[in-house]
Amino acid sequence: MKSVVLEQLSKTYFDPYRGSQVTAVRDLSLTIDEGDFVAVVGPSGCGKTTVLNMIAGFVPKTSGRILLSGTEVKGPGPDRGVVFQSFALFPWKTVRQNVAFGPKMRGVGKAERNRIADEYLAMAGLSHAADRYPSELSGGMQQRVGVVRALANNPDVLLMDEPFASVDAQTRMTLQEELTRIWEERRPTVVFITHDVAEAVFLANKVVVLAQGRLLAEVEVPLERPRSWDRLVQDETFKELSNRVLQLVRSA
Amino acid sequence: MAVDAVPQPRPLSRSRLRQTVKFLLPLLALLVIWQASVALLGVNPRVFPDVPTVLSAGWKTILDGSLLTHAGASLLRVLVGTLLAIALAVPLGITMGVSKGISTFLAPPLRFFSVLAGIAWIPIATLWFGYGFGAITFVIFNAVFFVVTYNTLLGVSTIPMPLRHAAASLGTNRWQMLTQVLLPGALPNIVTGIRTGLGFAWRGLIAAEMIATNTGLGYMLFLARDFYRTEVIVFAMIVIGIIWLLLDRLLLAPLERRTIERWGMVQQS
Repeated sequence: MKSVVLEQLSKTYFDPYRGSQVTAVRDLSLTIDEGDFVAVVGPSGCGKTTVLNMIAGFVPKTSGRILLSGTEVKGPGPDRGVVFQSFALFPWKTVRQNVAFGPKMRGVGKAERNRIADEYLAMAGLSHAADRYPSELSGGMQQRVGVVRALANNPDVLLMDEPFASVDAQTRMTLQEELTRIWEERRPTVVFITHDVAEAVFLANKVVVLAQGRLLAEVEVPLERPRSWDRLVQDETFKELSNRVLQLVRSA
Repeated sequence: MAVDAVPQPRPLSRSRLRQTVKFLLPLLALLVIWQASVALLGVNPRVFPDVPTVLSAGWKTILDGSLLTHAGASLLRVLVGTLLAIALAVPLGITMGVSKGISTFLAPPLRFFSVLAGIAWIPIATLWFGYGFGAITFVIFNAVFFVVTYNTLLGVSTIPMPLRHAAASLGTNRWQMLTQVLLPGALPNIVTGIRTGLGFAWRGLIAAEMIATNTGLGYMLFLARDFYRTEVIVFAMIVIGIIWLLLDRLLLAPLERRTIERWGMVQQS
């Protein structure tokens, strides 16, 4: 596992529609410890996805530093697994081949990488769908594949970009509970982007609120684990924290 | 948590049979109308022969081997020209797809030549390659090359960005990105390009063979005109049409359907 440190990170880009420079992220400094689970929330356009894309190495930063356990990020790499809102499964590969993709890129032999894939698929309750193509699965199943595909590559950091935003509400709650269970077992460092305040509080140890590219607040979430919606819906601390974060987001 | 249901694919054989019948029925009707009108109106066979005359002329070309020679020559040219075109067009299209600079520079000439592709190349092709295999294969090459290049470019540039990001974050190097993501991602478009290009090529082939060679279906057609063999002309036209329908429906269309449908290439933003 690795820690993620952002030092005065900034991103400006040219917006062709406005015809001017736009600052998406402004002097953002943030420390995410090894094995921590941090959720980043904020209204749309607050720069949260840009932050994740910079950590992932998909877009270049304008200034500042991004350190993974002390080493500066240069471009994408297998030490950071990414889960996308659009799932981003390879439609021409079966579910098993999707999950085995990372090991395959590292040169792991076919039998071994299929064994790894099947193990992760079993963990996600997807063994029956291993030979299916992604388009044959429901959204919730596709995102389960997206999550285990990232995990099967043993990343030091898991970057999740609104991963449950495009699945239905019932499935989303199940996926959230499964994610907390996986995190408790394996303790990867997680950066989780969402606009859903309850989701952020439910999942994370710490909720970071962004507003107009700046850090607005960091809220610790001392809720005990394992977490389940059945219990937390009634929980006073959960309600109080959710309210606090919601007020922060709305004031942004 | 209940396990989500996996939708089962529907059996296709029955509807496919029905589709084949639906496809053949109008063509059979056309045969009947042809025969009936020639017989009823008493058309001069020099102008348009009846069905049995055409069929017996065709049977002779089958027996004496000339049909096989001509059709074989045509198909060989198409095969060689198409394979060469694909071999060069796919790498070029992918290069353009990943490099903005190269695609900006090459897109205008690509558009220009795709308008020109086909029979406009016949005169200069005969000057360069002489009459025969080279000139005609060159015409085929042109018909396929530009369409496939354009479609490959289109295919690569429509691969959703998250897919390329996902691959990069799973550890692909440049070569793996090419073979594991760009090529398979663009494949449905490439296949569509090949199908379209071959359609152009087949038309161009017949025209080129009338001018620039002494074998092939186009030449067979043209030669028969010199001898007033209307029935051979009509037979050759039917063969040209049937070969294309067979190629398209039995080879290209299923290939296109397989790549697109099997992979469910519905773009997810």
